[in-house]
Amino acid sequence: MEVLREKVEEEEAAEREEAAERAERAEKMERMTKPAEVSKEETILTQDELQDLEKRLAAIETPIPAEYSFVNKALIDVTKLPPSYTTNSTKEEHLLQVADNFSRQYSHLCPDRVPLFLHPLNECNVPKFVSTTLRPTLMPYPELYNWDTCAQFVSDFLTMVPLLDPLKPPTYLYSSTIVLKAQKGNCFDFSTLLCSMLIGSGYDAYCVNGYGSLDLCLMDLTREVCPLTVKAKEAVKKKEKVTPKKYAIKPPRDLTSRFEQEQEEKRLQEIKDLQEKRLKEEEERLLEEEKAKPDPLHGLRVHCWVLVLAGKREVPESFFIDSLTARSYSTKDDHFLGIESLWNHKNYWINMQDCWNCCKDLVFDLGDPVRWEYMLLGTDKPHLSLTEEDDEGLDDDDDIDDLGKEEEDKSFDMPPSWVAQIEITPEEFEVRWPSGKKVIQYKRAQLEKWAPYLNSNGLVCRLTVYQDLQCTKVLEIKEWYQNREDMLELKHVNKVTGLQVDYFKPGHPQALRVHSYKSMLPEMDRTMEFYEMIRVDGLIKREETPMTMTECYQGRSDFLSYRHINFGPRVKKLTQNSAESNPRPMVKITERFFRNPAKPADEDVAERVFMILEERIQLRYHCRDDYITASKREFLRRTEVDSKGNKIIMTPDMCISFEVEPMEHTKKLLYQYETMIHLKNEEKLSRHQAWESELEVLEILKQREEEEEAHTLTISIYDTKRNEKSKEYREAMERVLHEEHLRQVETQLDYLAPFLAQLPPGEKLTRWQAVRLKDECLNDFKQRLIDKANLIQARFEKETQELQKKQQWYQENQITLTPEDEDLYLSYCSQAMFRIRILEQRLNRHKELAPLKYLALEEKLYKDPRLVDFMKVFV
Amino acid sequence: MSRSYESIDPKVIDDDMLKVAVGEQGPQEEAGQLAKQEGILFKDVLSLQLDFQNILRIDNLWQFENLQKLQLNNNIIERIEGLENLIHLVWLDLSFNNIETIEGLDTLVNLEDLSLSNNRISKMDSLDALVKLQVLSLGNNQISNIMNILYLRRFTDLRTLTLSGNPVAEAEEYKMFIYAYLPDLVYLDFRRIDEQAKEMAKMKHQYSIDELKHREAQMQARLEDQKLQQEKLAQHKLAFVEHLDGPFLFNSMYSEDVEGNKLSYLPGVGELLETYKDKFVVICLNIFEYGLKQQEKRKAELDTFNECMQEAIQENQEKGKLKVAKFEEKHLLNLNAIREETELPNIEKKLTECSDDINDLFNMLMTLEMQLVEQLEEAINIFERNITDLVGLFIENVQSLMAQCRDLENHHHEKLLEIAINTLEKILKGEMDEDLPDDVRALFVDKDTTVNAVGASHDIHLLKIDNREDELVTGINSWCAHLLDKIHKDEIMRNRKRVKEINQYIDHMQSELDNLECGDIIDI
Repeated sequence: MEVLREKVEEEEAAEREEAAERAERAEKMERMTKPAEVSKEETILTQDELQDLEKRLAAIETPIPAEYSFVNKALIDVTKLPPSYTTNSTKEEHLLQVADNFSRQYSHLCPDRVPLFLHPLNECNVPKFVSTTLRPTLMPYPELYNWDTCAQFVSDFLTMVPLLDPLKPPTYLYSSTIVLKAQKGNCFDFSTLLCSMLIGSGYDAYCVNGYGSLDLCLMDLTREVCPLTVKAKEAVKKKEKVTPKKYAIKPPRDLTSRFEQEQEEKRLQEIKDLQEKRLKEEEERLLEEEKAKPDPLHGLRVHCWVLVLAGKREVPESFFIDSLTARSYSTKDDHFLGIESLWNHKNYWINMQDCWNCCKDLVFDLGDPVRWEYMLLGTDKPHLSLTEEDDEGLDDDDDIDDLGKEEEDKSFDMPPSWVAQIEITPEEFEVRWPSGKKVIQYKRAQLEKWAPYLNSNGLVCRLTVYQDLQCTKVLEIKEWYQNREDMLELKHVNKVTGLQVDYFKPGHPQALRVHSYKSMLPEMDRTMEFYEMIRVDGLIKREETPMTMTECYQGRSDFLSYRHINFGPRVKKLTQNSAESNPRPMVKITERFFRNPAKPADEDVAERVFMILEERIQLRYHCRDDYITASKREFLRRTEVDSKGNKIIMTPDMCISFEVEPMEHTKKLLYQYETMIHLKNEEKLSRHQAWESELEVLEILKQREEEEEAHTLTISIYDTKRNEKSKEYREAMERVLHEEHLRQVETQLDYLAPFLAQLPPGEKLTRWQAVRLKDECLNDFKQRLIDKANLIQARFEKETQELQKKQQWYQENQITLTPEDEDLYLSYCSQAMFRIRILEQRLNRHKELAPLKYLALEEKLYKDPRLVDFMKVFV
Repeated sequence: MSRSYESIDPKVIDDDMLKVAVGEQGPQEEAGQLAKQEGILFKDVLSLQLDFQNILRIDNLWQFENLQKLQLNNNIIERIEGLENLIHLVWLDLSFNNIETIEGLDTLVNLEDLSLSNNRISKMDSLDALVKLQVLSLGNNQISNIMNILYLRRFTDLRTLTLSGNPVAEAEEYKMFIYAYLPDLVYLDFRRIDEQAKEMAKMKHQYSIDELKHREAQMQARLEDQKLQQEKLAQHKLAFVEHLDGPFLFNSMYSEDVEGNKLSYLPGVGELLETYKDKFVVICLNIFEYGLKQQEKRKAELDTFNECMQEAIQENQEKGKLKVAKFEEKHLLNLNAIREETELPNIEKKLTECSDDINDLFNMLMTLEMQLVEQLEEAINIFERNITDLVGLFIENVQSLMAQCRDLENHHHEKLLEIAINTLEKILKGEMDEDLPDDVRALFVDKDTTVNAVGASHDIHLLKIDNREDELVTGINSWCAHLLDKIHKDEIMRNRKRVKEINQYIDHMQSELDNLECGDIIDI
C-alpha cells in the first residue's frame, strides 16, 4: 500500500502546479483513509460520528486511493459528477444507519463470521450502500438483451485488476460510470456493472460476495477448455423403431453357428476392454499432469460474481455467471466455494447456510428467513410456504425484542441508486476491448480478439490450438474475419497436415463456399465447394488431385450429376509452358447422370465413359424399376478401310451392346451410327467443359490471390461513420445547404436601408420623400456603376502603360539581355497582355450590363413594398 | 384451286410412292448409305411429306405407326380417311385439297397443329377428340355461320386460328366476335391480337359471354355431379353393397309383384307395409354400412400386403444390384488384365477365373431370387388366409342380416295373410263396407285364390332377397378368388422375369468372354 501510494504521489509531483500542495495533500490523504478504516473496522457508528465523518469527507478533495491507482485521477473529476456522488441524501443516511445497526446485530449474533460488505466508499469517498450502487439499466443495444451476450460484453469491455487483498472485499466500490470510463475494475466492479445491466433487461440477478477458487479469482482460464474448440456433439438420432408390418417377410434362416459367434464376441470384447483400460490410464495420467497445485489460500479468496435466479425471462434454472470471464456455471460448480451475502438493487441478504460443501447444498430460496437473513423487510420476495410462515411466527414470538425494530424497518425501502444511468457510446460498444484487442489463454489454446475494422484485413478473432500445455507446438489456427469484400468468414489452417480451409459467406463472386487446399498452385490437391442455386451450371463441389478432377452437380436440366476427368502427363511443347497455353491431355472422362423421368430407363444414360485415347465410349443406362441389371453399350470407333478401299461407316462389331430387353430398332446400324455420332459431339462438348473447368480453377485462384492481396473491407451503407462516400455526400449536402442559406441572406439585403436610415425614424414616408429616396438610391447606384467602370478603366490604362514601358525598356536593352532575362520579359509580356485583354473584356461587359442593372434596380424600386404606394400615384 | 386436275391422272398412295418418299426424306450421306443398306421400316419414320403428288385418296398409311408429322397438302384429296392408325400424329397438313367435311380425325388425340386451309369445308365440327389442338388453319374455306366459332371454345390450348377467306370473315363483327368468344387466342389470321382490342371486344359482348359462361358452368356442374354419383356407385359396387343404402331393394321387391300391390289396397295393409318398409330399410342400411366398413378393412389389408411385398422386392433388388455392380467392377478389371496379358497359359487361367466369377454371380443371384420366392410365398399364404377369413366373416354377417330380412318378410306375410283371410271372410259375409277395386276384389273369390295370391307375393319377395344375397356372395367370392389368383400369377410372372433377366445377363457375360477367347486365339 505504501509503495503504491508513493507512486501516486510521484505522479502528482509531475504536475508542477500542484507541487506546492503536495505535502498538504498527502496529509489529507492519510486523514481520509483513517476514518474509512475506522468505519470499516468499528462497525458501530453513532449518528454523530457518521455526520462528522460525512462533513470531513465533504471537506476533503478527492485523492486517489491506492486501491484504485489504476483509475486515472483525471477521470474522477468531482466537480463534474452529479451531487448524488458526493453527498448522501437523508434517506441514504437513514439506510446507512439501518445497515450499521444490522451489521452490529449480525456481528453480535455471529461473532465468528467476517464483517459484512455493506457500504464501501465510492470514488468520492462517500460511503454508499452496495444495493444503491446497482443501477438497473436497459441498454439500447439488442445484443445486450440476453445474459450471455451481456456478460460477454462486460467481460470484454473491462480489464481485470486483481483485488488488492485477495482475502478481503475491497474498501472502495466505484460507480459503474467511473469503471466504464476507466475500462478497468476488479470482480466487484465487473459484477456490479453486469448485475445492473441484467436487472435492467429483466433478469432476477444478484451480486454475490463469496469465495472462489484461485482460477476464478485471477481469471485464469488456462485450465479450461476453450469453448470454441469444443465440437458440438452431434445429436444422436433416435432411430424410430419400426413396428414390423403384418406381412413383412421373414429374414432368411441364419445358418451360422451361434456358439462361434459368441466366442468371437467375447474375444473382441476382451480386446476392447484392454484398450479401454489403457486409454483410461492414459487419460488419468494426463489429468494428473494438468491438475493445478493446491492453493494455500483455498476457500479464503474473496470473489464477487452474479447469480441469476430462475423465474424471470424464462430462466429455467438458477445459475452463476462469473462476470470476469462471462462463463456461466451451475450453482453446484466446484469453483464457487462459499457465499457470504448477496444483494440486488432492492435488498441485501446474508447467507445463513453452511458452506462446508462449497455451494452445492445451498438453496436459493431468498424468502426463507432461516437460510437467508434479509436486511430490509417488504421486498418482493415472498415468504414461500405457509408452514414456513408458521415457523417464522414461532421465531418471532421468541424474539419479541426484535419485533418492534423490524416493524420500524418495514416502512423503509431502498432509496434509488445514486449512480447515473449507465451509458455506453456506440463507438465504445463496437470497439469493446480497451485497446480493441484482447488475448485469452485457455488450456492448449489461445484466443485473440479484435474489434471489427481494427485490422485492415478484417481479422476479428484468432484461435490457436496447441498440442501441449506449454503452448509451444501449434496444432491448428482458426481465423475469423468480418466485413470482408470477398466474404471470407473463416480461415482454418491445420499445421500438422498443412491443409488450409477457407470458408466463405454467401456472396462471393464465384459463389465459393469452402476452399480447402495445401498450396495455391494450380493442379494440386484442392477442394472447392460452391453455394448451390447460385451457379448457373449447378456445380456444387470440385475436387482436384494432380491427375484428376471431380465435379459434382445438382439441379441441371441435362441431369448431369458427376464428372470425373483423368489427365495424362503433359506433353512437352516447345512453346510457352504455362498451364493455360498447354492444357494436360485428358485420358478419360466419366460422367454420371440422374434419372430423367421423362425418358424410359433403357434410353436414359446413367453413366458414360469417354476413353479418349482408345476412342472407346462406354454407356451404362439406368436400371428399370423392377430389374437388377441395366443395359450397356460400348462403341469402338475404328476408321478403317475395307478390302475394296471403301471407308467403313459402321459395322456391327463397333458397337457391343447388352440390352435388358432387346428391342428391334436399336439393333439397326443406323440407330447405332446416329447414337455414336451424337456421342462424338457430346465428347467434344465434355472435353470443352472440362477445359473450361480448368480455366475456371485458374481464374478463381487468381482472383483469390488478388483478394488476399487487396483484402478490402466492405462498409455498410448504414455505417455513417465509416462510409466515406456517404460522409462526403452528407458533407456536400451540408455545404450546399449552408451556401443556400448564405445566398438567401444576401438576397434579403436591403438596398434601401442606408437611405431610409437617413430619414427620421418612426415617421411615415411622404411621397416627396419616397421619390427622393428612390432617386437617391438610383443615383447612388449609378455612381457606383460609374466608379466601377472608372476603376476598371484606370487599371486597364495602368497595365497598358506598364507594358509600354517594359517594351520600351526591352527595345533599349535588347542587345545586352541574357536569354533568361529575355524569357522573363517574354513571359511578362504574355501575362500582361492577358491581363489587359481580361480588363478590356470586363470593361466591355460592364458597359453592356450597367444600363441593364440600372433598369433592373429601378424596376425593383418601383415594386418595393415600401415605395409602391407612392410610385403608383406618381406614375 | 385453280389448277385443273382432270389433265393429270389422279393417284392413290401406294407402296412405291411411299418407298420413294421415305428414301428421299430419310437420312442423308453416310447415315443414308447405312439406311439404304438396311432399308427403312415404315414404322420407324417420324415425318412424311407427300405434297404435289396429285393424290386422290389417302391409303396405305397404316404402317407408319410412329409418324408424327404428315404433309398431304396440294393434292386432290376429297375425304379425310385412312389416318386412324396414326395416333402419334402431332402435325397434319391437308391444305390445298378438295375436302368438304371434317371427318376421320377422331383417333388423332395428340394432334397439335391442323391445317385445312384452301378446301371446301363449310362447317367446323368432328374435332372433339383433338384436345391438344394449338394451331388450326381453316383459311379460304366456305364457313359462313358465325355461331360455328363457338364450337372452338372447347379447345383450351388453341392459340392460333386462321379463318380469313371464309364468308364468315367478311362479317363486320367477325374479329370482335372472335376476340370476345375465344379469349385465350393469341394469333388470329396471322396477326397477334391486340390486348386493347381484346378488352374492347370483351366489353362489347359482355352480356352474351356471361350468359354463355353461365350455361357452360351449369353444364360442367351437372357433368361433375354425374361423375361424382357414378364414382360413388362404383365405390359401393366395390363393397358389393350397391343400392342397399335406401329402399331400393324393397321397391324392387314390389315392382314385379302384381298381387302384392293389389293386396296393399286392403285396409290395414298400408300401415303394415309402412312399418315393414321402415324395418326393412334399416336392415338394408345396416348391411350397407357394414359392407363399406368391411371394404375399408379389405383395402387396408391389401394395401399393407402390397406395401410389404414391394418393400421386400425392393430390398432384394437392391441386394441384387449391389452384387451385379460389384461383379462388374471386378469383371472389368479382369477383362482388361486378360487383354494385356500375353502368355497363353496365363490367359487361360484368367479366363477360367472369369467364368468362375460369372458362375458365382449366377448362383448368388439365383439364391437371392429363390430366397425371395420363398419369403413371398409365405407372405402370400398368410395374406390369402386372412383375406379369405375376412371375406368369410363378411358373408356370414351379411347372411345373418339377410335372414333378418327374410324373417321380416315371413312376419309380414303372416300378417298379410291374416288380413287377407279376414277380408275374405268379411267379403264372403258381405260385411265389407269399403270399396275395393275390381281386380283386387277378384282375388277374394275363395280362400285358395287369396292364399295363392298372398303366397305368390311372398315368394317373389323371398326370391328378390335371395337373389340379392346371391349376387353379393358370388360377387365377393369371385373378387377374392380373382385377387388371389392375380397375386399368385403376378408373383410367378415376376419370378420368371427375374430368372430370365439373370439368365440373359449371365449369357451375355459368358458370350462376351467367349468372344474374347476366340479373338485372342485368332490374334495369336
